[in-house]
Amino acid sequence: MELNDANLQTLTEFLRKTLDPDPTVRRPAEKFLESVEGNQNYPLLLLTLLEKSQDNVIRVCAAVTFKNYIKRNWRIVEDEPNKISDTDRSAIKANIVNLMLSSPEQIQKQLSDAISIIGREDFPQKWPDLLTEMVTRFRSGDFHIINGVLRTAHSLFKRYRHEFKSNELWTEIKLVLDTFALPLTELFKATIELCQTHASDVNALKVLFSSLTLISKLFYSLNFQDLPEFFEDNMETWMTNFHGLLTLDNKLLQTDDEEEAGLLELLKSQICDNAALYAQKYDEEFQPYLPRFVTAIWNLLVSTGQEVKYDLLVSNAIQFLASVCERPHYKHLFEDQNTLTSICEKVIVPNMEFRSADEEAFEDNSEEYIRRDLEGSDIDTRRRAACDLVRGLCKFFEGPVTAIFSGYVNSMLVEYAKNPAENWKHKDAAIYLVTSLASKAQTQKHGITQANELVNLNEFFVNHILTDLTSPNINEFPVLKADAIKYVMIFRSQLPKEQLLQAVPLLINHLQAESIVEHTYTAHALERLFTMRGPNNATLITPAEMAPFTEQLLTNLFKSLALPGSAENEYIMKAIMRSFSLLQEAIVPYVPTLIGQLTHKLLLVSKNPSKPHFNHYLFESLCLSVRITCKTNPTTVSSFEEALFPVFTEILQNDVQEFLPYVFQVMSLLLEIHSNSIPSSYMALFPHLLQPVLWERTGNIPPLVRLLQAYLEKGGATIAGSAADKIPGLLGVFQKLIASKANDHQGFYLLNSIIEHMPPESITQYRKQIFILLFQRLQSSKTTKFIKSFLVFVNLYCVKYGAIALQEIFDSIQPKMFGMVLEKIIIPEVQKVSGAVEKKICAVGITKILTECPAMMDTEYTKLWTPLLQALIGLFELPEDDSIPDDEHFIDIEDTPGYQTAFSQLAFAGKKEHDPIGDAVGNPKILLAQSLHKLSTACPGRVPSMLSTSLNAEALQFLQGYLQAATVQLV
Amino acid sequence: MPTKNVVDERISKFKNKGKDPAKLREKRITECVELRKAHKNENFLKRRNITLSSLPDEEALSPDYISNEKVSRLSIEDIIKEVNSGCRQSQTRGCQAARKLLSQERNPPLKEIIDAGLLSRFVSFLSMDDEPTLQFEAAWALTNIASGTSWHTQQVVEHGAVPVFISLLASPLLHISEQAVWALGNIAGDGPAYRDVLIECNIIPALLARISPDTPVGYLRNLTWTLSNLCRNKNPFPPLSAVMQMLPSLIQLLHHSDKDILSDACWAISYLSDGDNDRIDIVVKTGIVPRLVELMSHEELRVMTPALRSIGNIVSGSDQQTQAAIDAGVLNVLPRLMRHQKASVQKEAAWALSNIAAGPCRQIQQLITCGLLPPLVEQLRNGDFKTQREAVWAVTNFTSGGTVEQVVQLVQCGALEAIINLLQVKDPKVILVILDAINNMFMAADKLGETEKLSLLVEELGGVDRIEMLQNHDNEMVYQAAHNLIEKYFSDGEIEGIKVDTTEDAFVFQSSDVQRTFEF
Repeated sequence: MELNDANLQTLTEFLRKTLDPDPTVRRPAEKFLESVEGNQNYPLLLLTLLEKSQDNVIRVCAAVTFKNYIKRNWRIVEDEPNKISDTDRSAIKANIVNLMLSSPEQIQKQLSDAISIIGREDFPQKWPDLLTEMVTRFRSGDFHIINGVLRTAHSLFKRYRHEFKSNELWTEIKLVLDTFALPLTELFKATIELCQTHASDVNALKVLFSSLTLISKLFYSLNFQDLPEFFEDNMETWMTNFHGLLTLDNKLLQTDDEEEAGLLELLKSQICDNAALYAQKYDEEFQPYLPRFVTAIWNLLVSTGQEVKYDLLVSNAIQFLASVCERPHYKHLFEDQNTLTSICEKVIVPNMEFRSADEEAFEDNSEEYIRRDLEGSDIDTRRRAACDLVRGLCKFFEGPVTAIFSGYVNSMLVEYAKNPAENWKHKDAAIYLVTSLASKAQTQKHGITQANELVNLNEFFVNHILTDLTSPNINEFPVLKADAIKYVMIFRSQLPKEQLLQAVPLLINHLQAESIVEHTYTAHALERLFTMRGPNNATLITPAEMAPFTEQLLTNLFKSLALPGSAENEYIMKAIMRSFSLLQEAIVPYVPTLIGQLTHKLLLVSKNPSKPHFNHYLFESLCLSVRITCKTNPTTVSSFEEALFPVFTEILQNDVQEFLPYVFQVMSLLLEIHSNSIPSSYMALFPHLLQPVLWERTGNIPPLVRLLQAYLEKGGATIAGSAADKIPGLLGVFQKLIASKANDHQGFYLLNSIIEHMPPESITQYRKQIFILLFQRLQSSKTTKFIKSFLVFVNLYCVKYGAIALQEIFDSIQPKMFGMVLEKIIIPEVQKVSGAVEKKICAVGITKILTECPAMMDTEYTKLWTPLLQALIGLFELPEDDSIPDDEHFIDIEDTPGYQTAFSQLAFAGKKEHDPIGDAVGNPKILLAQSLHKLSTACPGRVPSMLSTSLNAEALQFLQGYLQAATVQLV
Repeated sequence: MPTKNVVDERISKFKNKGKDPAKLREKRITECVELRKAHKNENFLKRRNITLSSLPDEEALSPDYISNEKVSRLSIEDIIKEVNSGCRQSQTRGCQAARKLLSQERNPPLKEIIDAGLLSRFVSFLSMDDEPTLQFEAAWALTNIASGTSWHTQQVVEHGAVPVFISLLASPLLHISEQAVWALGNIAGDGPAYRDVLIECNIIPALLARISPDTPVGYLRNLTWTLSNLCRNKNPFPPLSAVMQMLPSLIQLLHHSDKDILSDACWAISYLSDGDNDRIDIVVKTGIVPRLVELMSHEELRVMTPALRSIGNIVSGSDQQTQAAIDAGVLNVLPRLMRHQKASVQKEAAWALSNIAAGPCRQIQQLITCGLLPPLVEQLRNGDFKTQREAVWAVTNFTSGGTVEQVVQLVQCGALEAIINLLQVKDPKVILVILDAINNMFMAADKLGETEKLSLLVEELGGVDRIEMLQNHDNEMVYQAAHNLIEKYFSDGEIEGIKVDTTEDAFVFQSSDVQRTFEF
């Protein structure tokens, strides 16, 4: 492509077309540009257009296109062609800085981005004059140009803030410092002087202050990795000026905007960051300046207003004080009683106040309010920073700080008492203060776990919290009510049980409050109280203690779901689930009513599932209703099916993807309750469960496998009889699962159920094929998980079909296959099998191979006999994995394995562990002893001789123990 | 953890990380680009304006000698004229004037003197044994030039001063010999190249010959300093043969009572031990380790610092070398040094500790028994940033090599709380190392079946918030490490799938047609 007018014209036309809203015009134009971008001069044409085009739209469009082109193509990837010619590269680098600086802001920003992308690749080696070119512009005196340079420098240098130290990086920084540090310092000083000379010219000031902010950012980047010699030598200049700027105020720069931070705030905020950096990393050198900064920042805090626009500045400033006051050698800066009092009064208390913005959120944006206040996403809020400062100060001054605040809390409460309607915010601040003062450690699971001993939590509860909870009008002062409820919730582990029990009925009342925050907090508090553990690992609050309130609790919980704004309130639904789980049999009388409400809710939300947590707890609650009711009376299962199947059918028909895994789990739960037969309603669904589309969604796999297992358990014979044509499809699912490393164990679950429950003749024709698939997988991708599942399956097969059948089918696939599997897989790997049932299956299977397989005695397999026995004894004697899963009542979905994988496992749909061998074998060790005894009587002399020649002594000793226990002897 | 790649850079400098027991103690990272001001006390050692201890009294008292100011100053032109004249007296006067000019503190005219071509004259005066004053003044002038920049030193060497100075070491006049010691010390301090030139010219026997019970202390101080400069610098190290020649005398000097001698002798040992394990071995084999440990408690900072540095180097060696330091009682001294008032000492002590913590668990046990955990945690909490950084490494090494019980003990001492607090430092590497330590702690907890308990503890200490925040970190490795911790211990993992043939209604159950022979 030549640099000529014709090409410029063509390019202009296509650029214009890329802005067309009609995709049939836009797309081909974009395609065209992509197809020509490899040509030489293409980027230069763009640069020409963005500089010279008459049409402003085309100029901006060319700039954006150029930046994206650079982003895609500039980097030279090894082994890939260089996508931009060297002459174009040089030409771009030679012109771009000039172009950027002389362009209007919109284009300047694009080019500045492009420069930093190029710089990331080429700077400094392949672009040695970039810096000097930039530095020269400092002398231009034109601050629009200077700011362009500063912005570009900032995008080039900001990576120094997060990259690891390396010689390469530090060489670059050194080079930058050598050319840049001095001019930057000069510019800094000159800019500050200009601010003084232009103190009354608001437009000039704006430009100058954005320069100062950029310079301060550059300072941060250049000082981040280590303290450079230059800046150590010039610390006086920088710190004195930073300090000056912190204390500076100029009416002209104050903005009317309440939300958006102004230039002054941005600059001061960055200076706080710079001071914090020095205080943290270069303490030794910074020490002489630090006290001044502490004072300045503290004064800044005292004089800064409550508006939202100051939030970042204030939280940065408070965080600075918080980090300094924890350091032992700065303790003295704070320890004076007056200082402490003044920090508490003027910095902490004002920033804990409930602001009008908070009030708005409380009323109109309750979700956001709850997220911030309850779930701790308040990292950079003022309240959080103030709390951190309280904690920091408490490190050395817990006593005095507590005393100061106690006085404060009392006076605020007195204010409140004078005129609650007018002064309720004082009480809010008092409660917040007590909370932040008292809490030393906190978790979601237990609330506050360590409290400040100097704060009397019980007394405060009795005198100030209970009063709010007992007040007859639950809708009065909703913020204070929410505070009181939250107090109970977070201090639950610190308050005595009597007080919690006292709070429970009061809380139940508040479920009816109109304020969303208030009734949400209530539901949450109840839910948390119900998960507390008492002695013996049971719940702290017992169903008996709840008896007087059960009906009210259930009624109010469901009523609160009808309150405006809470139709899908996850906290309430979680409280319902937890209440069911706590109350157990006590809910049975209410289930007929409740199940109707739950299914109604389910029908509604299935139209448009939008609250995953709410939906999850809804299904958990359904499971609990089923389980608790059917535990005493299994026949009621059909009434649940009647209530649920219509909704389930609709969900399945509409393919509500989010709900399918849940539906499969509830169906499994229901089917498993049936005694050994399968209702026809289930059989009608069977073919649909084998549809590949269901199995493509990973979240469906575990619940579907479980459901198919339930089908096989209850209806193996039915399937073999009336749905035999579906068996290949069923095995196809097995094959699909076995092909995935992630899901292969699910494939084995299914296969084990097929072997266990299908009539043997119904699968005879498929058996060899099954093993070939397993061997293929073993050959191509042998993982520990696969081997463990494989071993269990092989042994289950042996138990079910006999050792001879196992050996024959192996050897029919390939001669000597049986020996190879024994030698290479079973003997070395069987120790890895975990789980009591799995181990038992392997023990019984191996015992059969040892004692019921003639080939083991009379062929070349004989040499494997003792090693196999030894492996079996090892399996017996390995320490058991005795970890017991947590009681499901206490489980949070966040803790449930698989929740995040879209599997959505329901804790209360839990499946009992199934033992396919069951009581047939009580003690596998005894079985081994008896089987060996039987074998030895069949061929006298051989067993003892095999044992004595190659079994190791320790194993032999264990074996003798088994023989003794079984009171048999080998002959 | 994927942090390995980055952490590896330093981890690989620790011994015993993972299953490779041979390599991994941290060596002092050298040859790095530095942004900081060069370290003060190291710099002044390189070149030094010493005071001659052995000036004959009459010289020292002569009016000529004492008062630079009072003597009428000669201009450079006059000096050139005098030095180049044939008259001994003029030469002496010229030399002395030149020496004085060169001794001035601000901008001595080194270049002018060199450009005037006076160096060859000065060097030729060095050999004039019958003119001791001239000899001395010339030596002094050259010494001043040699103490300039590398370029200045180079001029002196290239004019052939080295062999003459070395022969001057044997001068019967002590002050002349001492002047030679001084000049040679400056040349040796210039760098490995000239150091080796001196060694090849047999400086070492000539120097060592001057050590005797009668050698005055002042002279011995300067000699020790020159020796230390001969031990100094890497890339390459001084030749082994030279080291072996010097070591016995250095060991002897380490038992001297003079503080300056002790200081420089210790520095010499610190240079010799600042290398690979073979170099360390040579030092350890002399049996000097107990004395070095003793000197770590010396009241003088300038003795204690290089002693600590030497021991720090030694514990960066093999397990056996470290054991030698432990047997000599280093662990009894370290707690005090960890709490030393000077931050630089704390940092150095923490560095040594981090290397001992990289050892096998029996050494870690000794570290616990000697009460190092409390000061370690104190430093993590309140130390200077550089000390905190070393202390963090100590924790990570400890957690990767320690037994489960040892790790539990570390956590109980408050280390977990302290490192969680440090997750807010503005240094991505430190953060990554901390995340690694936390991961190690979880692996220990896993063995005890107490991951859940640890998760709660981390949450209580505010760690979960911090780690979650780090998932927004701009540094990719930090983000990954934080993300992995959250995934692994504060939530759950993911699943992947592979395809199989399907029809509309069901999967196809079939094995591939290719019948292979199975071989497992």
